[in-house]
Amino acid sequence: MIVDGFFLAGAIICLLSMLICVGAAILRQPPNDITIISVAVVELFLVVYAIAAVVRQLSGEPVLGEPWEFWGYFLTALLVPIGAFWWAILERSRWSNIVLGAVGITILVMLFRMEQIWDGVAGL
Amino acid sequence: MSLTSPRPPEAAEGRDRTSGPGRLLIAVYGIFAVSSTARASYQILTKFGEAPVAYLLSAFAAVVYIVATVSLARPGGTAYRVSVVAVLVELIGVLAVGAFSIFDAQVFPNDTVWSAFGQGYGFVPLVLPILGLWWLYRHRPSALDRMTIDVEPRRTR
Repeated sequence: MIVDGFFLAGAIICLLSMLICVGAAILRQPPNDITIISVAVVELFLVVYAIAAVVRQLSGEPVLGEPWEFWGYFLTALLVPIGAFWWAILERSRWSNIVLGAVGITILVMLFRMEQIWDGVAGL
Repeated sequence: MSLTSPRPPEAAEGRDRTSGPGRLLIAVYGIFAVSSTARASYQILTKFGEAPVAYLLSAFAAVVYIVATVSLARPGGTAYRVSVVAVLVELIGVLAVGAFSIFDAQVFPNDTVWSAFGQGYGFVPLVLPILGLWWLYRHRPSALDRMTIDVEPRRTR
């Protein structure tokens, strides 16, 4: 897999979000604006990543792996921050911040897989 | 006074089990339910013939994760028993498939959730059922019934 700007940007955003959320949990904070916004930024990154993927696809830089596997991963990833947000705000406890923190690590792993598929490395 | 008036035990027990750390546990189960379902669907739809046993096990694991997620998130005694069974099956599954995948790499290629004890998923599939069983044990209905009915609050917790 080629480590490109998309992966680096996504990895930094995911790790920062995870650190913010877990940090807030350690400080015994329930989900607040900062932790929720950090998860929203992860979601925003995914949207930007998808737009960039469409542009790359159309401008002669296609997915080397299975395109529908790539987009399957993407659609699943898109649901993770939304689901975690919904699950976390149902209870205002610090554990809900760790639920939000799980978004960062999950999306990071999924981004890694999406990048692998994009570069045509390894199958599922 | 509220300690002597018996609260509905199921409501008290359900709230306790699905709150706090329980929410994180359920969230992680949820992530595994979604990812293993997606993966098993992909494997069965595109390349079932390559390793039917492994991909059927993928599907089975996905079902186990779905049942575990839903039953852990629901209050009540029935949901509790279902979740104990689901998490036990998960533990047996990860141990059996993990062992078989090391002895017989032909039948179990390294691509089910439970292969090599969940190595591909950072061994989370191995740790998860142990944490799940511990959590369920700590929140078993009998212990919580006693705590609700006790006149003297316990100080040992």
